[in-house]
Amino acid sequence: MLGDQIRTRRELLKDADRRYSLRQVAGRVGIEPAYLSKIERNEVPPPGEETIKKISRDLELDPDVMLAMAGKISSDLQEIIRKRPLLFSKMLRALKEAPDHAILEVVREVTDGDW
Amino acid sequence: MIQLKGTNLVLRFPQVHPKAKASIEFMRTLRVPNDGNTYPLPAGLGSFELEHIEDHKAQLPEDWLKRGGVMLPMFQSEAMWISFNGTYPIALKVATGKINAITGELWTNELTDEPQNYVVLSEQPWLDGYAVEQGTVRQFVATPLGSGESAEEQITGEAAFGGIQIQAFPMKREVYKELFESPKLTDEVQQYLEIPAFLRRCSEPAMGLVPGGSIAQEIHKDEYGLDAWDLSAGSRCFIHTVNSEAWSELTDLPMPHKPISARDYKSANIPWFKYYAQDKKALPGSAILQKLKSKKEKPATKREDAEIGQNMSDLPVVKLRRSDVVTEGVF
Repeated sequence: MLGDQIRTRRELLKDADRRYSLRQVAGRVGIEPAYLSKIERNEVPPPGEETIKKISRDLELDPDVMLAMAGKISSDLQEIIRKRPLLFSKMLRALKEAPDHAILEVVREVTDGDW
Repeated sequence: MIQLKGTNLVLRFPQVHPKAKASIEFMRTLRVPNDGNTYPLPAGLGSFELEHIEDHKAQLPEDWLKRGGVMLPMFQSEAMWISFNGTYPIALKVATGKINAITGELWTNELTDEPQNYVVLSEQPWLDGYAVEQGTVRQFVATPLGSGESAEEQITGEAAFGGIQIQAFPMKREVYKELFESPKLTDEVQQYLEIPAFLRRCSEPAMGLVPGGSIAQEIHKDEYGLDAWDLSAGSRCFIHTVNSEAWSELTDLPMPHKPISARDYKSANIPWFKYYAQDKKALPGSAILQKLKSKKEKPATKREDAEIGQNMSDLPVVKLRRSDVVTEGVF
């Protein structure tokens, strides 16, 4: 579950760096430590998209994976589908059963960075 | 967008035109002798392998990862030419160590026509080296980055980048429609498909490229003009050339090929090529690149060079034209 993932990751980082205490992580994310504690123990429904993204960034987790664990889809992805619903719904359904390597073959671009 | 398909970098610009695509392949070849003579085009003896750089990020330097792109393994004794395939006109800039291979100038993200800093696909089927003078290029030859020999180090005094850089700009959709989608031009356009490109298929981890021996090759002048290119649709790629000695350590993969020797080339009776495009004007070449020193020759290489140089007359030379029909050679 989302809370377990956050807690496991945070405690792993805390072993090497005290900045990952419950209090300090909550402070950087902008929520109360008690609320973060409840999230970690799955005592409250998953927080909103922005909070999940902030927690993911702080703990170096993939925000899309964390949102999926919370049953959510990033708003930028929703916007992409909303703009061309026929094309993207058709594409996603077509790729539904495809293995990872086949999907990468379709969508993977060579990256261009800073040079 | 640029995708990696096998050993090809595939350029696609679907936002400009469905036909706006081309592929680029880096071909392994023999180093032509650096003896003052100008040689015909050597054949390609297979492609250089390419790998997404992110697939090997655990062992790679941080600055390589920041640049993105692909990795290409290369032996220090190897040379390369670059093969272009596609029918849609694309302006392509090619640099090594961020030194433009057509003008000798430092890399910029701009396309310029004074001097022309790009080649035009598919008018230009191949690029074998640095454009040093009209009708002559000096071959792309590998050298370890940091040796002081690479074109980059000779011009900038630094071994900062190495590798190969490309940037592509497709022809504007409206220009293409006007020039190539009118019915009367269909036959002429078809000829582009018939360029027999595949006939030629018959320390520091980073590798740089240095001018080697001279090869007869024209870099064609852009007949469309700078306004024909869609400058808003450019795509770039950094190709990290990796020394064969470091390839396995960085990627956990074996070197995918062995270097080609002059003896291999000669014993296989592989032909050389001459390419004619009589209706095309050639660029004058770069005075900057002309001044560059060649790779220092090792004694063994010199012997091989002398041997292959003396026996040039024994090897067949195949003449190619743009309109030649594609046939498979026997290599």
